Amino acid sequence: METLLQDTNLVKRAYWLVRLRWAAISVLAIAVFVSSEVLRISLPVMKLYAMACVLVLYNFLLFLFLRHFTFGGKSPSHTAIRRIITFQVSADLFVLTVILHYSGGIENPFFLYFVFHMIIASIFLSTRQSYLQATLAIFFFGFVVFLEYLGFIRHYALEGFISNNLYRNGLFVLGTFLVFSTTLYLVVYMTASISRQLSKQQQWYEEANMQLREKDYLKNEYVLRLTHDIKGHLAAIQSCINIVDTQMVGPLNEKQTDLVERAYRRAGKCMAFITALLKLTRMKMTGELEMTGFSLKKVIFNTLAAVQNRAERKGITIDYNIEAGIDEVYGEPVLIEETITNLLFNAARYTPHNGTIKISVKNQKGSILFEISDTGIGIPQGDIEKIFDEFYRSRNAREIERDGTGLGLSIAKQVIERHRGQIWAKNNPTGGCTFGFSLPKKC
Amino acid sequence: MGQARILIVDDDPDITEAMKVVLETEGYTVYTAKDKEDGMEQLKTTKLDLIILDVIMNGGRDGFVLSRELKQDAKYKHIPILMVTAVREKTGIDFKSAAGDETWLPLEDFLDKPVKPEVLLKKVKGLLYEL
Repeated sequence: METLLQDTNLVKRAYWLVRLRWAAISVLAIAVFVSSEVLRISLPVMKLYAMACVLVLYNFLLFLFLRHFTFGGKSPSHTAIRRIITFQVSADLFVLTVILHYSGGIENPFFLYFVFHMIIASIFLSTRQSYLQATLAIFFFGFVVFLEYLGFIRHYALEGFISNNLYRNGLFVLGTFLVFSTTLYLVVYMTASISRQLSKQQQWYEEANMQLREKDYLKNEYVLRLTHDIKGHLAAIQSCINIVDTQMVGPLNEKQTDLVERAYRRAGKCMAFITALLKLTRMKMTGELEMTGFSLKKVIFNTLAAVQNRAERKGITIDYNIEAGIDEVYGEPVLIEETITNLLFNAARYTPHNGTIKISVKNQKGSILFEISDTGIGIPQGDIEKIFDEFYRSRNAREIERDGTGLGLSIAKQVIERHRGQIWAKNNPTGGCTFGFSLPKKC
Repeated sequence: MGQARILIVDDDPDITEAMKVVLETEGYTVYTAKDKEDGMEQLKTTKLDLIILDVIMNGGRDGFVLSRELKQDAKYKHIPILMVTAVREKTGIDFKSAAGDETWLPLEDFLDKPVKPEVLLKKVKGLLYEL
């Protein structure tokens, strides 16, 4: 029989039951105290407190047992964990029956609490096992109420709560017992069937998810092959044009040079696009990054040196503010350098002459916060969510640079997310925009 | 002006032609081969000073195989090999650090596609001790 938690972590649930029992023990102690001391209901207080103590001990032992089973990340078999849960539910039913016996038997409305155990059993155990638990609960409850009715065992009356001796009223006892029994079976039936439905849905989602991932992988592999083939052709085109352009094979007139250079430039842009697409696809397909500790400051200075010429030509000032104490971070240095270079070049490209670019690096709760803000064209409203999408380029960016790949920010996002960081963009209130990312200090 | 004899082994006829043109302008004698077997034939009949080798030929790894075979053969192991590649994005191999690892990839230098005339000539001259 399938259960809802067939494929999820039953161990966590076993621990959850232990935590739930701590709460139940507290409720028992408070209920006994309030009933006896506030409501003045007569109860065998000492026996009930003793039961609470036994429960504390039992729960603690169970906790140690679970710890022993799962110590050091061990994952016991589902059968073993199911057995532990079955044992817990059965033991709880027994303990609840004993508590009920000492606190009025059938006259104590707490007998309704058996329903909780049926719900727990139906979710965590097989349907057959859940019906067995329901039968066990009915047997325990019936055993106590009928023996009390027949006078074979003592009845602890709840004086101050119920005046008549209901436990001696045969019709009441029988009626309550029948309703109780049918309730338990119905609860098991309903919960188990809902569980089964959810379990089927969960399986369906998991299968659909697997299929989607397979399709994504196939798509990426296809893109990888395709782009690689295109790259081969482009490399041949570029190699040939370049020779003509360098006039190694004979002189060109001005018009010929201009046309050949145009063709060479376009081939170069196409190559840059294909290379970026290959890189993004490969990053999506490969496994973990090779992380090392490296100097973020050094990386930032490298990127500043790379962008300096372009910034100077446009009269753009670049300020940076790196918080004291920030140096070594953990990650893939080449990819982080590329990401920062990418953001910095974007800022320089889309900031008009004599603008300013500010870089700030701060510590923030276990992360390094990197921000780069400019006085550039900003991001049109509604585009902020899309600019990290593959191939997306906002209208105002296209107006400035027609042939961007639309992949730079997707690669940046992929890199930062692979480092378990976050990347974002926002417009500045005074114009321009800010791109930022966080990088966990230890991945 | 070099007088050296250079063999280009590449299955892309256009890249081969482009490199041939560049090298010939500098006076080198250039032989071409379209695959590993063709390359071996040329090696047997011609005395060569340099081999320019494509990594992936005909969808396989013939470039790797040929470079290893040549470096294990006493007759040819003195001939420098310049490996031409456009596959770094695909394989993720760092050719810079792999060049010179004699057991894995025995070659003297590497060159990225698309081939830039001035870079090709500089590398070739370097390997022929003409610089």
